[in-house]
Amino acid sequence: MADEVVKILDNRKVNEKYYKLSFCSHEIARGAQPGQFLHIQINPTLDPFWRRPFSFYRVDGDEIEILYEILGHGTAMLAQKQAGEVLKVMGPLGKPFRKAVKPKKRICVAGGVGLPPLLYLAECEDVDFFLIGAKSRSEVMPDSELEHIKGTVMYSTNDGSYGVKGYVTVLLEQILKEERPEDVFIQTCGPMVMMQAVRDLAEARYIKGEASVDETMACGLGVCLGCMVKTHAGWLPSCTEGPVFDFSQLQGSLICQT
Amino acid sequence: MSDVNLTTKIKGLTFRNPITVGSGTFGTKQDFLDYVDYERLGAMTTKTITRHPRTGNPMPRICETSAGMLNAIGLQNRGLEEFLKNKIPLFAKIKTPLIVNIAGEAAGDFQHLAEALHKEKDVVKALELNLSCPNVEEGGAGFMRKRERILEAVKVVRDATDLPIFAKLSPELGDVVEIARDVIDVGADGLTLINTLKGMAVDTERRCSRIANITGGLSGPAIKPVAVRYVYEVKQALGVPVIASGGIMTAQDAIEFLIVGADLLAVGTANFINPRATMEILDGISQYCRDHDITHIDELRGSFHHENQISG
Repeated sequence: MADEVVKILDNRKVNEKYYKLSFCSHEIARGAQPGQFLHIQINPTLDPFWRRPFSFYRVDGDEIEILYEILGHGTAMLAQKQAGEVLKVMGPLGKPFRKAVKPKKRICVAGGVGLPPLLYLAECEDVDFFLIGAKSRSEVMPDSELEHIKGTVMYSTNDGSYGVKGYVTVLLEQILKEERPEDVFIQTCGPMVMMQAVRDLAEARYIKGEASVDETMACGLGVCLGCMVKTHAGWLPSCTEGPVFDFSQLQGSLICQT
Repeated sequence: MSDVNLTTKIKGLTFRNPITVGSGTFGTKQDFLDYVDYERLGAMTTKTITRHPRTGNPMPRICETSAGMLNAIGLQNRGLEEFLKNKIPLFAKIKTPLIVNIAGEAAGDFQHLAEALHKEKDVVKALELNLSCPNVEEGGAGFMRKRERILEAVKVVRDATDLPIFAKLSPELGDVVEIARDVIDVGADGLTLINTLKGMAVDTERRCSRIANITGGLSGPAIKPVAVRYVYEVKQALGVPVIASGGIMTAQDAIEFLIVGADLLAVGTANFINPRATMEILDGISQYCRDHDITHIDELRGSFHHENQISG
């Protein structure tokens, strides 16, 4: 793990929803695994005050890419950054997705900002089904960003403007009708409500899987105890004990953690 | 490495420099050890330890604010027993004085904790009493009751141990100089100023608090001027040892506190943004001393002179 000042190589809009930013770091790139994240200090001033966590989207040699969406003040500032400007980046942090799932079939279920870590996983490992939930056609990723996925890519959109109309769970239910529960392994990342729906579908069928959670995070090093997730072993910091958790670790709903 | 003498002495304790950490802002896991050489710190301060384990508050517990953050962690910790069993042996290996921060719901808890930690004097060098966590229910205790409870807690700890005691006070106790005086009178050796200020932030889409506990403790640079003021006033009035805490992010911040007389400097929230903050602040203080021909930190400490403003 390292904490370095890096120079932005490129920072551009991919579509209506996502931006892609790249930089080089040998130290950070060499240990990176899908599901792990970077903790980025966007400005050296006090605004934004905290760092922001981003999943690895792509690692090629020393070059690292993140894919992000403007969700608030911090990411809005990040989107303004030009090539040549600098960022302070710490990583790789957190626990990655499980790599080996064979002989089971791997089903990735992604939604919104949950897309980048699963696309990175699909670049490194075989995926049988890659399901993506989006609001509408304008959020659909260009083919060039998806061509490395070895399995079947399926889209659902809320308004039906691309792929199947409805939530991504509609696609998942279709696939699960055809597959035996013991033959599949689900890995999901996206809004908590979506991941909870995926988990409900999986657990009703005794299907195993993992979810990468997205809790508000301050330190990223397991110290502040802010990004906690309720597990059968008590509240655990998602930055160091996650962000990827096995479905069986999680206690109660992901939607309202009390 | 430094040619500047940063040695700081308080009540028979010698610290190699004035830098410590704010309770609950510093890790003992390997992730943190990668960035920080614990043996370079002047003192190490633990997260609050309570008599029994505490699960903490519901989520969300933290939110970012302008130049600061709110937290309502709720003193999540594994309790005294686990601390004695697993953490004391860990700290015993580090040659840095250990300050253990403790909290209790009643005086009996403080007494129990102090007695147990007194037995670990080889490792534990001082106690910091958390008398001011804004995130733990106190049954709606009014100001007078709070004051009584604070003094009662200090008294029982004083009776239980001769370890130096620092009382960590809230900036919201009315006249802090007055209560600081009372706390010293009943046996505290010094004060930690300040704990967080109770604050609140609203999610404008959902029209609810951004913290499950509704309110949380505000920390970070946003509260630094308040902290500087309290350290200044208490040092001027009482001259007792003070651990300064509140928004120290840079060496410049630390030096402000030193000038108004702070003995130790607790770097807290800054660790969440930069795990190397303590090390960088330490280097920055040495540099400042070199730049200003200061050979011993005591030449800087308490060197505040209001007249300097007039003489320009």
